[in-house]
Amino acid sequence: MIDPDAIGRLKEIVGKDRCYDSPEQLTCYCYDAYFEEAMPDLVLFPCNRDEVSGILKICSARKIPVTARGAGTSVCGASIPAKGGVVLCFSKMNRIIEINTKERYVIVEPGVVNADLQKALAPFGFFYPPDPGSMAVSTIGGNVAQNAGGPRCLKYGVTVDYVLGMEVVLASGKVVRFGSRNVKDVTGYRLSSLFCGSEGTLGMVTSVILKVLPQPESVSTLLVTFDDLDNTANAVADIIGAGILPAALELMDKTTIRTVEENAHIGLPVDAEGTLLIEVDGVKEACDKEIQKISEKLEANGAVNIEIAKTQEDREKLWQARRSVYGVFAKLSSSLYTEDIAVPAGKIPEMTRRIVDIGEKYNLLVGVMAHAGDGNMHPMIPGDKADKAEWARVKKAFDEIMAAAASLNGTLSGEHGIGLAKTEYLPLVMDEDSVAFMGVIKKAVDPDGILNPGKFV
Amino acid sequence: MAESYGQNCNRCGFCLSVCPAYQAQGAEDTSPRARIQLIDFFADHKIASSEKLKDIISKCLMCGSCANICPSGINHPERYIRMREKMIRDHGDRPEIKSLVYLLAKESRIRMAAGAAKMARKIVPDVFASKYKLGNIALKQFPVLNTVPFRTAARAEMEQTPGQRSQGASDLAYGRVAYFTGCATNYFFDDTGFAVLEILRHMGLEVVIPGTQTCCGIPMLYHGGRKKVKRNINTNLACLDAQGIDAVIVDCPTCGAALKNDYPGLAKAFGLDLDRANRVAEKVVDISTFIMNYARPGDVVQNHEAVRVTYHQPCHLRNHMPAPGSAQALLNTLKGVQYIPVPDMDACCGGGGTFFYEFPEVSKGIAENKVANAKATGAELWVTDCPVCRINLGGYLDDAADLTVVHPARLAAQFLPALKGQKG
Repeated sequence: MIDPDAIGRLKEIVGKDRCYDSPEQLTCYCYDAYFEEAMPDLVLFPCNRDEVSGILKICSARKIPVTARGAGTSVCGASIPAKGGVVLCFSKMNRIIEINTKERYVIVEPGVVNADLQKALAPFGFFYPPDPGSMAVSTIGGNVAQNAGGPRCLKYGVTVDYVLGMEVVLASGKVVRFGSRNVKDVTGYRLSSLFCGSEGTLGMVTSVILKVLPQPESVSTLLVTFDDLDNTANAVADIIGAGILPAALELMDKTTIRTVEENAHIGLPVDAEGTLLIEVDGVKEACDKEIQKISEKLEANGAVNIEIAKTQEDREKLWQARRSVYGVFAKLSSSLYTEDIAVPAGKIPEMTRRIVDIGEKYNLLVGVMAHAGDGNMHPMIPGDKADKAEWARVKKAFDEIMAAAASLNGTLSGEHGIGLAKTEYLPLVMDEDSVAFMGVIKKAVDPDGILNPGKFV
Repeated sequence: MAESYGQNCNRCGFCLSVCPAYQAQGAEDTSPRARIQLIDFFADHKIASSEKLKDIISKCLMCGSCANICPSGINHPERYIRMREKMIRDHGDRPEIKSLVYLLAKESRIRMAAGAAKMARKIVPDVFASKYKLGNIALKQFPVLNTVPFRTAARAEMEQTPGQRSQGASDLAYGRVAYFTGCATNYFFDDTGFAVLEILRHMGLEVVIPGTQTCCGIPMLYHGGRKKVKRNINTNLACLDAQGIDAVIVDCPTCGAALKNDYPGLAKAFGLDLDRANRVAEKVVDISTFIMNYARPGDVVQNHEAVRVTYHQPCHLRNHMPAPGSAQALLNTLKGVQYIPVPDMDACCGGGGTFFYEFPEVSKGIAENKVANAKATGAELWVTDCPVCRINLGGYLDDAADLTVVHPARLAAQFLPALKGQKG
């Protein structure tokens, strides 16, 4: 509980319209897209850096926990206020401060929605590459905090590759700035990269300078079917080995294909062992050439069927299966557990087989999707959270999936983050000293541990 | 969950991206995801019934876009309706909304009230009419009641000039359609009604306007009157399930959605004749779709002069009707119409039944950009199918704005050869 005097002072900073304290409104901030819940004591909507600074000064003086939130789409529970206290919601701090396509950067506030930034850039013929599945609603602040990825990040890189600089309010309320508008900048530590992916445990980002790119003039898409999973992975390795970096390289395993087809009836090959959706973008002639080269590699690896999209309509059709996956699996049971381990791309067949075995062991349906080019895999397990026995099996299956990924030189999370979901697995991939080193940094920046407490650090 | 209607929410948040209330407010408690969480928490006794809870649940336009995008397949409107019923039971509703539900439950009551309102309008001096507002809409910009209810006037007109049955459109079995006019056309917008009638009769169809039809029931359903809807459904199904009818024409997407999507489920829940509800539902079609499906070349011709038009797509048309692009297809077909699309053509207008009246500030936040963008097209007509969208958007267009909101049928009627030159 926060003492009434502190509540009064916090309210003063934002005004009563931007402060929530009723149980009904607080309940709306006790969850994000993960499975757990924790009630905040107060939700504040700051509108500028000075308000954020003022709030943090009060909170650090009174040791009140502060958890940042954008749109609340974290699938690892990063924005759940695990220890109560204040939820600092940035959704109303959503101005695009500057668009400078000549010098290829934008400056935005953290509450700007990813898709709104794309919309604002489109008239200039530019785009911001990171494309998390939640981009229609998730905010840049959240994307930065989670170092979000997305399908096209294989070619373009993830959020951290686009953060040039930022303004941060530290736990003490002090304002610091890292980086600049320059792509080349080796002035001091690259601290913006440290804050990127820190899940709100080190400071509150109040503005970000992002690199943006010109839109590619052309996109070509193909869908290929294999009757052998190893062939699928070998084809991926050959394509990348040939120097081609597709903008998307999406794999679906047998179970995913069959489950989607059974429910959505879109004409998928149900006897396939794997499919790849491949998209290249760039100059038209280069795309044509790459598609031809990719087709050769696919055929050499025993592709059963290759469909190349000729029109935008064809392209939509090829994407339809991939886009249907989440909806199909989400409807199979009352909850859907989606994970995002990453393994070296060549280990995808082995990892897929292990996931399938684990699913069988615990009598669970498991579909595997993967961003195959970068080895980021999304095993999906529908389960009933209210069925305690079943949910316990789901949990055990994920324990084993984490361990399997670690044993294949993989990692716990490719793009979702650690949050509440994966803290317990950290020792699988980080030794004691490495975890402790994160603690040293945390302690130096946030000595009282008020920023997003209860998470991985 | 103690009480579950179908799927569980995975909290993915996709619904936030399409919710007009969330988009305008940027706070989770105005989002569909929050409403569903609160409904679940309430069912599980984790949160108590309160005025505040009622307010959060009610601050929703019932547009249905959340259900449309939901990967888990949650039927949001159904769950909101049930929760609203509970909240209104516990905490009541505004007197004027309660009277609305009472009125709409019986046609004779609606007629009486319309008559009384007309008298009141006559004795209210203009200075008050422009000063007082319904939500953001000055009373003087609120639509004027029809002098005679449309259905009465239409029957009189049809008796004077009988239809030309023999020229029935070739693709139709009977050449006869029923017209479900909805309350808005009957009491406010007879220009829409006469246009629909003219078009259908011009297409060589016999038009039946069942005399006993009444409110589709949606406003009652949204305001805690779920049980009262049973009688409306029964009455409407009885008069619409007639032999020898090719189609049940609607001009209002909300009425259409009710008849087409909601009636079968409600008929089943209330123990009414489900087969009958399904028979009617199958025949329900909006006027624009009907024109696009059955008009012959020559039914609609080149107009005498070019008219600049933009379009607003009502949420209930997009989310609940099978061919939401029909009105735009119609605009593109009418030679002489210069259709200027706006990128936010499909964004909610903030009307939402009685929402614009209950939450004027939120409503205004939703409408403002839309109105500015439509004005910027330089169009003379802002075409939209839904009478509430028309009232709401019309409310932002004062005499100085050179933009008038009309139903697509009203525009299409200007293009009938027989009427060429007669309509402005």
